[in-house]
Amino acid sequence: MLEISGLGRRFGDVAALDNVGLHVESGEILGLVGPNGSGKTTLLEVVCGLQPATSGNVTWQGQALPPERRKDVMFYVPDGITPWPEHKTSDVLGFFASSFARPRDVTDAVIDGLALGPVLHKRIGALSKGFRRRLLIALGLIAPHPLLLMDEPFDGLDVRHTREVASLLRATASGQRSLLLSIHQLVDAERICDRLVLLSDGRVRGEGRIDELRARAGLAAGSLEDVFLALT
Amino acid sequence: MRSPETSIGGSAPFSALVGKELRDLAAGRAFWVTLVLLALLVGASFEQAVSLYSEASRAAVQTPLLARGLSPFDGVVVPTFGALYLAATFLLPFVVIRMVGAEKANGGLKLMLQMPYSPMAVIGAKLVAALVAWIAMALIPMSALGAWLLMGGHLGSAETVNLLLGHLLYALAITGIAMLCAAASDNPSTAAILALAATIGFWVLDFAAAGQGGIVQALAGLSLTQVLRSFERGLLSTAPALAAVIASLGLVVIASVWLHSGRALARKVTLTAATVACVGVAVVAVTTVPMHRDMTEDHRNSFPPSETAGLRRLTAPLYVIVKLAPEDPRLVDFERGVLGKLRRTVPRLRVTIESESRTGLFETSDEHYGEIVLRYSGRESTTRSTGAGEVLPIIFELAGIAQPVLAASPPYPGYPLIAQAAASRMWFFAILPLLIVAMWAWNAGLFDRLRAATGSTKSNATGERA
Repeated sequence: MLEISGLGRRFGDVAALDNVGLHVESGEILGLVGPNGSGKTTLLEVVCGLQPATSGNVTWQGQALPPERRKDVMFYVPDGITPWPEHKTSDVLGFFASSFARPRDVTDAVIDGLALGPVLHKRIGALSKGFRRRLLIALGLIAPHPLLLMDEPFDGLDVRHTREVASLLRATASGQRSLLLSIHQLVDAERICDRLVLLSDGRVRGEGRIDELRARAGLAAGSLEDVFLALT
Repeated sequence: MRSPETSIGGSAPFSALVGKELRDLAAGRAFWVTLVLLALLVGASFEQAVSLYSEASRAAVQTPLLARGLSPFDGVVVPTFGALYLAATFLLPFVVIRMVGAEKANGGLKLMLQMPYSPMAVIGAKLVAALVAWIAMALIPMSALGAWLLMGGHLGSAETVNLLLGHLLYALAITGIAMLCAAASDNPSTAAILALAATIGFWVLDFAAAGQGGIVQALAGLSLTQVLRSFERGLLSTAPALAAVIASLGLVVIASVWLHSGRALARKVTLTAATVACVGVAVVAVTTVPMHRDMTEDHRNSFPPSETAGLRRLTAPLYVIVKLAPEDPRLVDFERGVLGKLRRTVPRLRVTIESESRTGLFETSDEHYGEIVLRYSGRESTTRSTGAGEVLPIIFELAGIAQPVLAASPPYPGYPLIAQAAASRMWFFAILPLLIVAMWAWNAGLFDRLRAATGSTKSNATGERA
């Protein structure tokens, strides 16, 4: 569905991304795994068109997808942002719903699924980190794009909420939407992702299902952490 | 599965975007602080203007000839709106920069750029919100005009509306500058410094050009302050007005180019250069056919209709060579009383200011200093008078046109008024600021929070008693 090849992004002499290539299948959850500074966020922002690429191609269903048309097929939920802190949660959700012409039942289902009801009247700046994260996920789920990119979707969530959100994302993927998730918690990544891309120093070190990566690393019973350390 | 041909962003409602921007405007403290400061500024300006006008009116009330010199437009309206000019110069940029910069800083822009709106639509909605902010600001000096009418003062509707238009164009240009600075800067502080550097730069340019000719004066003509000045004189000139609108919209378009973080620098520079070129061509096009309309009640910016009609018949070039220094008061008089009106009337006017120095203090030994040479169709005449009553007959004589007979029209009566602005003091310095603060508190939900806090305190007290 989405094919990325030879993607590069340089900041002066520093190569944040170097010849990155990966693909996303329809209805799958692809995990982007790597340590801090490995280029996960840069990759997501370059792919969705929020940062210019220095080199490389992005194709969608076999056709070239220029940066200005990427927002037609994918939506990226960034990490570490508190958008419109003075606005009420309900206002921002309503703004997204009306902008994307989403029916009321879709928005209500997202609000229920993420248990945002108690904070609808609250200002976003006053929300806890967990609720802010859930709001960002809600905005991504309201967006109707076939491909959803999320940067650290479980960051700030406790164990219970992480499981609930993981179930919600799994249900989203089973509805024929694809997800590309950047996750630095390897346990979470192993649990939710269908396939994984290992990123280190801006380069892809491995791509495939966990058993494929284990085979490649020669660690038949190794955890993702062991596999990652072996391949990077 | 949706293909890229299925545009998700095809029919997103612009009204939803504008609604979000208006909520954002009302949520920011910068807007409310601007309104409070403007209320105080307008109050001070209005009180001082009324006081000075009343002083001048004391003598004029008994003398109709003196009364003719008393125009409420010059004496009260323009000085009161001067506060709006100050607020638009120094405070409006912060309101606009917050609209763009805060969204960049808190990450909201990353979401906005992926929504079904083009960067131009995003900036356009912010422009609408900025205009709403300006309208709210303009209501404050307009309330002063209401107070002036209640005092029994007179207002000329055409000149007042024209002045309001001038301030709107000025605010539009300031908004464009602030938006571009915010879109191109990494943080709001840098944007604020750049925007203020630009607006203060116009002041410096005006100051440097005062009493100067040549390139500096030509550059000063492009200053935003100069555009506003013509409206403050009661003139509606299409060239500067349209040029200001085009330049402002150009700045907004360039701001939308720089807003998108996904565009490569080279692409941004190319699009900026293309926009600047288009704006340049459009500005040249609108300034080649200047049209002027004198909106003042006393028609101070134009000759009487019969003389205007006579001057418009001058088909050959009229040369005016003025041997006066730029800072010589006689040149200022001549410019205001004759030359400016000739520029707006005579189809082919060629003016040359000849002077050795800036002040002319040391040129008095030159016997020709102070002369004004008028030349038309090979005929020439020289005068030292700077008054229209002397200069126009010479021009008509040179052109072989009979001196037009002036139609008897009632002279401008003037509107002297002795009034006290003390009653308005309460409005501008107490009621209006409190009203603005109350609206901000209501919008910020402070009353709800206060009510909730009071409720919980009461229930705690009840619980303790129980």
